[in-house]
Amino acid sequence: MKPAPFEYAAPRELDEALDVLGEHGDDARVLAGGQSLVRMMNARQVSPAVVVDINRVRGLDSLGVTGDNGSSTLRLGATVRQRTSELSGEVAAHAPLLAEAGAHVAHAPVRARGTVVGSVAFADPSAELPTALLALDGLVKVRSRAAERTVAADDFFTGPFATSLAPDEMVVGVEVPVTAGRTGSAFVELTRRHGDLPVCGAAVVVGVDDDGRVAHARVALCGADQRPARLPAVETAVVGADDPAAFTEAAARAADGLDPIPSCHGSADFRRHLARVLTARALRTALARATSPKETTDAR
Amino acid sequence: MSTVERPAAETRRWVGQSVARKEDPKLLTGRAGFIGDVVLPGMLHGAVLRSPHAHARIVSIDTSEAEALPGVVVVLTGATAAELVDPMPAFCAEPVEQRAIAVDRVRFPGEAVAAVAATDRYIAEDACARIRVEYEVLPALVDPVAAMDPSATRVHETLDSNVVFHRTLDWGDVDADLARAHTIVRSSARWHRMGAHPIETAGAVASWDPFSQSMTMWSNSNFINFLPWAFAGILRVSTNRLRMIPCTVGGSFGSKHLITKVVSITGALSKACGRPVQYLEDRADNVAANDNVGCDRIYDAELALAEDGEMLGLVLRIIDDYGAYFQFAHGQHGNAVAQPVGPYRIGSLRYDVSCVLTNKVQQGFFRGAGADPGNFILERLVDKAALEMGIDRVELRRRNFIRPDQFPYKIPTGNIYDSGDYEAVLDRALEIAGLDRWRAEQERLRAEGRYLGIGLASCQERSGYNASEWWSFYDEPPLPATSTPESCKIDVDAMGGVRATIGCPLWGNSPETVVGQVVAEEFGIDPSAVSVVYADSTIGAISAGPGGSRVTIMLSGATRGAARTVKDKMIRVAASAMEMDPEDVECVDGVFRAKGAPGTSMTMAEVGMKAHLFHDGTDEAESSGLVAVYTYDHPYFTPPSADRSDLGAFYPMVSHACHIPIVEVDPETGEVTLRAYYVVNDCGTVMNPALVEGQVVGGIVQGIGAALMEEYSYGATDGALETPTFREYLLPSMHEVPEIVLEHLETPSPFTTYGVKGVGEGGRLVAPTAIASAVDDALRPLGVWVDELPMTPERVVGMIADAQRRP
Amino acid sequence: MPDEVRVRITVNGTRHDLRTEPRTLLADLLRNDLALPGTHLGCEQGVCGACTVLVDDVATRSCLVFAAQLDGASVRTVESLAGADGTLHPIQRAFTEEHGLQCGFCTPGMLMGACELLERVPEPRREDVEEALGGNLCRCTGYQNIVRSVCAAGRLMAGQASDGQTSDGQTSDEQSGVRA
Repeated sequence: MKPAPFEYAAPRELDEALDVLGEHGDDARVLAGGQSLVRMMNARQVSPAVVVDINRVRGLDSLGVTGDNGSSTLRLGATVRQRTSELSGEVAAHAPLLAEAGAHVAHAPVRARGTVVGSVAFADPSAELPTALLALDGLVKVRSRAAERTVAADDFFTGPFATSLAPDEMVVGVEVPVTAGRTGSAFVELTRRHGDLPVCGAAVVVGVDDDGRVAHARVALCGADQRPARLPAVETAVVGADDPAAFTEAAARAADGLDPIPSCHGSADFRRHLARVLTARALRTALARATSPKETTDAR
Repeated sequence: MSTVERPAAETRRWVGQSVARKEDPKLLTGRAGFIGDVVLPGMLHGAVLRSPHAHARIVSIDTSEAEALPGVVVVLTGATAAELVDPMPAFCAEPVEQRAIAVDRVRFPGEAVAAVAATDRYIAEDACARIRVEYEVLPALVDPVAAMDPSATRVHETLDSNVVFHRTLDWGDVDADLARAHTIVRSSARWHRMGAHPIETAGAVASWDPFSQSMTMWSNSNFINFLPWAFAGILRVSTNRLRMIPCTVGGSFGSKHLITKVVSITGALSKACGRPVQYLEDRADNVAANDNVGCDRIYDAELALAEDGEMLGLVLRIIDDYGAYFQFAHGQHGNAVAQPVGPYRIGSLRYDVSCVLTNKVQQGFFRGAGADPGNFILERLVDKAALEMGIDRVELRRRNFIRPDQFPYKIPTGNIYDSGDYEAVLDRALEIAGLDRWRAEQERLRAEGRYLGIGLASCQERSGYNASEWWSFYDEPPLPATSTPESCKIDVDAMGGVRATIGCPLWGNSPETVVGQVVAEEFGIDPSAVSVVYADSTIGAISAGPGGSRVTIMLSGATRGAARTVKDKMIRVAASAMEMDPEDVECVDGVFRAKGAPGTSMTMAEVGMKAHLFHDGTDEAESSGLVAVYTYDHPYFTPPSADRSDLGAFYPMVSHACHIPIVEVDPETGEVTLRAYYVVNDCGTVMNPALVEGQVVGGIVQGIGAALMEEYSYGATDGALETPTFREYLLPSMHEVPEIVLEHLETPSPFTTYGVKGVGEGGRLVAPTAIASAVDDALRPLGVWVDELPMTPERVVGMIADAQRRP
Repeated sequence: MPDEVRVRITVNGTRHDLRTEPRTLLADLLRNDLALPGTHLGCEQGVCGACTVLVDDVATRSCLVFAAQLDGASVRTVESLAGADGTLHPIQRAFTEEHGLQCGFCTPGMLMGACELLERVPEPRREDVEEALGGNLCRCTGYQNIVRSVCAAGRLMAGQASDGQTSDGQTSDEQSGVRA
């Protein structure tokens, strides 16, 4: 199990990396943490002619919040490690869902090398972080030599391991708008074994009004569709709800219209079943956190 | 029957102690010498191209592009390899030929179709990627029941049917027991194929010398000192020109007994180029194509009971999916009938087995080796009987246990159980588990809508096999071997240094430590003073090695035999030097002295020097030197009767355990979490408590895998392997394991040296059925009955849904 | 064939200036180019953790890193632990005293993962060990003694020889699973 030969580029500047992508397009792959890419290269499931190692590129490792209290944004660069994000006070304060989902990814040594953006760009429909980004209404910052654009997460993920990224583009960061008001979030998943990709997982953010009722909700699933899936019907159905029964009823529709990818870890039907169960659970936990001030900031 | 005389007040200094493990320092420092660490000058590296199809005809293979790649030295196809090596040995009587590299037809996904030797592994894999194979895909046989249909495509044209072996054997009057039964409990059960999956894969380094026509082969195989002639046969080298060298083995669990495919491929590559070649399976090779896979059985079973719960008779009808070849014949069933009736006085047994060939990798041996599903079905039947008859499951077991005064006990198949006290084990297990506390916790959680379950299983671990288990179901076996020896050579040098040379390899167990303990016990020296080395196949230390929980039993016997032979000679030499009668000399603390009257004495070194360098020239004197090879044969074996109404004693050292796992089940997601785990184990005399605990706990965790996670999965229509890596085939991690509380009870075996019984497989032999029982108990309010392992989340949710649908 | 790349790398304190193919995995560089066979490859998919080494003090799967990425890096392998005179490192001592290994194939990865943990968390609890080593598979031991070994190593390294009490308050008898 050894990779095929490739040319290796380790630029220091983003423009150099983009030049290589511009030249080689689909024949090149961007290497950040490599915890998925190198695995697939070892198995020769992918054999790029050129590997662009961005770990030495200046300016991609920043993590921080910008903007004022009215509309602030959490930004993570392309080489921010999952472990850094998971343990970051700013992520915990402003996007606890990202920290909570991140703690479910693989194991600490893998997260120490793997990057948040790498996971997003890899677009595994079963993975935690793309789904968390989707539930957070996150944005994907994309660059090519020619242009820069920002893509909503929902438009970024187009299918299993497929994105709207052009061959000459790379993801340089992700952004999460920081939500004001009383909100709570939760990430729950079922794995066959601790640290494995989930069979199915649910990411939920809810905002509550002064009466403790759901004012708005964002619900996303992994492992339940061809791509990370937003559930607008459930989001609408839970508005105004304040009790678990209502969530169960709303979550009963969580699998409607989804097309899960079956595997040895779970059939499509079982994934639909889990979609319903986990959506209800995540909604309940998120609401409890939103209505309990102490737990609002408790990512775990 | 021979029993070992044991003085009532035998005191032991080293046997029974947690002596430090001699194997550890080299393993802890990265210097253990695994097969991947063997490097020879000019050595090439092998890689194998494997079939993506479960069943296909090979239309053509074009290797030209691969051969043109710089660094590539040899490319072999099945046809060209067949010019260099012969088919692999099979223990079956049926005409099922298997070659390491397929010729004309592939019969399972991952079967080798070509092999490459190149200057490094990367290039060898580059070459594999350049081999063009044209396949004509054939229908894949995936379902063993469908494969039994006479109209099904045959896996082998040489056979009339995919049912490669079928036999029904009755022991005792089964029909009469069924007729007189008050209750007959029936259960089907499905035990899916699982794999041993040691973290080290199989590998070999072959060095062919074309001038002397001799082969030197390093490998992590076990049988190098048992069946070296079989390897010589594959490699087409005369038996006395093959040298098999053992390496430290990174785990086996039964999967590396022969590894003939690896040996054959490596040998063929070396023969083709006249250079040393190393071929290490990678994980994909190992999962897809090695001898990893255990039983794959469908049971239809009945247990007949009298009104008071007395177990009368047992009927087991089994379909076993053997995959594409029949390498070890039905040996896994010979194994299972060593203990089919468990710890119970069941008077009769009908065993009806169909071995079916399909397009999957063939079965090998995996920890439990056939008795693992046997324990599963039996304990499931007992639990079900308790439920149906309204008898407490503990009480039902108590009523039927073989009593301590009934040993040695002959079970219907003819095998003998040596000793045991099953009720004492059960009682102690119930005690340490604190059952009342867990029942109260169960009640409390049920009120919250949570499902806690308490499992229980009381099972046997037959240990110390005799080779007859491999062939006893045949009337005319191809190789009715009856020897399963273990050897130890001990020499004491002129300075008194003791070295033991053993025939078994280091397979992850602790042979050096055991040998050190036994030698230390016999000479009264410190175990750390004993040096232990591993014999290659030229030493003559015949050895069946680890397998069937035998190695400590057999190795302690061999070592004591060799130690005593040398010690007796040293006593004679010392007696002569001290001008005493040998009868009056003893060896205490490594010193030879007059019995009971310490005064004149000689050290080990003094006796050693005398024996090596001071022969006095008389005919009566002992020959020079201090060396003995002792071969310990099976301590208690009787052959099967001609009509197989009595299979004889072939697995008579029988350990026993009671496991009580506590689980919590999430009925919505199907997730099963182990909360606690209690075990009482009886493996006779505990040779080394720390090592025994390690074996039991490690086995239990493999059993947790069997119960909840591990399964080879194949595409229902195309037969594609859906679990090709550790991302799909799931081994338990640290997170899935609860604190395991273990205690021992010792009923020494009357048949073995020191009273030792086996312990290597017990954890895995009991845990799966115990955990199934716990899940049942948890979900009793929902009416669930577990009859299929592993209990994946999807299966658990499915079982609950099925139970809810039942009227 | 792509150009070789230059890798200046410090391994177990020794500086090397090497040229290698870009595709050479760190594990293979260590095993083949530097003749350090203690780092074992179990799955080459990053699942089993047997190949874990420390890269700039961080536990890293050496099957998922190209050596080319490590120009300027410092790597520690299992060979760095014991003294040349055969003195075992406290972590190794703890593993043998607590019977934390059987076949030993996963052990170098466990030791290096434990090494990283103990440099961060001198007296780890069971949960800390699970977080650090939970992704390292062992097929022999059932993990119980590995957890004990790492906790015991912390005590050895802290020079607090156990007096029967462990950090989680259990007696050593309970820890060995033997209850009177």
